[in-house]
Amino acid sequence: MSQDVESKVKAIIVDKLGVDESEVVAEANFTNDLGADSLDTVELIMEFEKEFDLSIPDEDAENIATVGDAVTYLTGKLS
Amino acid sequence: MSDGYGLLKGKKGIIFGALDERSIAWRIALACKREGADFVLSNAPVALRLGALDALGEETGAPIIPCDVTKDDEIEDLMNQTKEHLGGVDFILHAIGMSPNVRKKKEYTDLNYNWLQQTLDISAISLHRVLHHAEKMDVLNDGGSIVALSYIGAQRIFSKYSDMNDAKALLESIARNYGSRLAKRGIRVNTVSQAPTKTSAGTGIKGFDGMYTFADMIAPMGNPSADECADYCVTLFSDLTRKVTMQNLYHDGGFVNSGISEEMINDLAKIYADKDDE
Ligand SMILES: NC(=O)c1ccc[n+]([C@@H]2O[C@H](COP(=O)([O-])OP(=O)(O)OC[C@H]3O[C@@H](n4cnc5c(N)ncnc54)[C@H](O)[C@@H]3O)[C@@H](O)[C@H]2O)c1
Repeated sequence: MSQDVESKVKAIIVDKLGVDESEVVAEANFTNDLGADSLDTVELIMEFEKEFDLSIPDEDAENIATVGDAVTYLTGKLS
Repeated sequence: MSDGYGLLKGKKGIIFGALDERSIAWRIALACKREGADFVLSNAPVALRLGALDALGEETGAPIIPCDVTKDDEIEDLMNQTKEHLGGVDFILHAIGMSPNVRKKKEYTDLNYNWLQQTLDISAISLHRVLHHAEKMDVLNDGGSIVALSYIGAQRIFSKYSDMNDAKALLESIARNYGSRLAKRGIRVNTVSQAPTKTSAGTGIKGFDGMYTFADMIAPMGNPSADECADYCVTLFSDLTRKVTMQNLYHDGGFVNSGISEEMINDLAKIYADKDDE
């Protein structure tokens, strides 16, 4: 399950941010390492919501700063 | 001035592109309200999620309708909801522009082509899509006025504006092309080529401050503000300009027809004299 979440999350990030898959590691920070601007971060959250069919409240979204944060959060929500 | 002139009394419209209070569309919405218009506000779902637009909706009494202008079904939804709120519309403001290549600092000679397609789709083809659905769904009233915001990058290349130069050239062409087809109904379509303006889209461009200062120094009247652009757009939405169509109208303090200013000549002479001394 979490493997599946991880690969979907990574695919969304590669597509949205136009970064190389090799850069999308667990500790990579969207803003500092992957060059996301404020609009990108909101777009990523909305893509995750669409892909996994759930809603992510703003309070939770604020704490999702790295690839690993996203995978952990989404895996938790889906289990 | 703060009471306005009642130029848009009884007119109804759709305003696209207000993101935050610096947005040119935001200033235009306030000016349209001042002049007596009623309108709906629309922006992409992601922009609505950023949250600032609610305040403008409250201030102007305008409903807010989400719409990603690259999606036909979302534009159709928007048109249906607009009809419910207002019936037909007399004016549409297109203040939409975005380039993923510029945002991600891709050089022009090294563009990501998927992103180039997005740039053109969002910033130019969207004008066609909006007009197409508005006309087919009978949302546009006879004698109406459409304005899309452009930039002089359509005519002269500003390197950091990258693929947005191309998008604006296409936008201006679509405005003329569609304008010729809507003319028989007295509907006019124009682009307003605004000077550099300090907004979220503007300042997102690398080297924007330099471009802003350059234009401000060359334009005999200096760069016009977003509020001044709003006043100009109001006149274009009003009946006073009913035969102005298929034009690209510069709103730039005289920049387009100026070579260089005295002040710049003097400053440049000093810079180059110092360089010669080195
Ligand atoms: N700021 C300048 O220097 C300047 C100069 C000349 C022309 N313009 C033009 O004025 C217009 C408004 O820009 P602004 O400077 O007010 O910045 P802005 O960032 O406030 O406005 C751009 C708008 O486009 C919207 N948008 C992006 N993608 C969209 C999509 N898929 N669907 C719907 N909306 C979408 C954004 O949400 C935003 O509201 C743009 O066309 C811009 O190119 C700006």
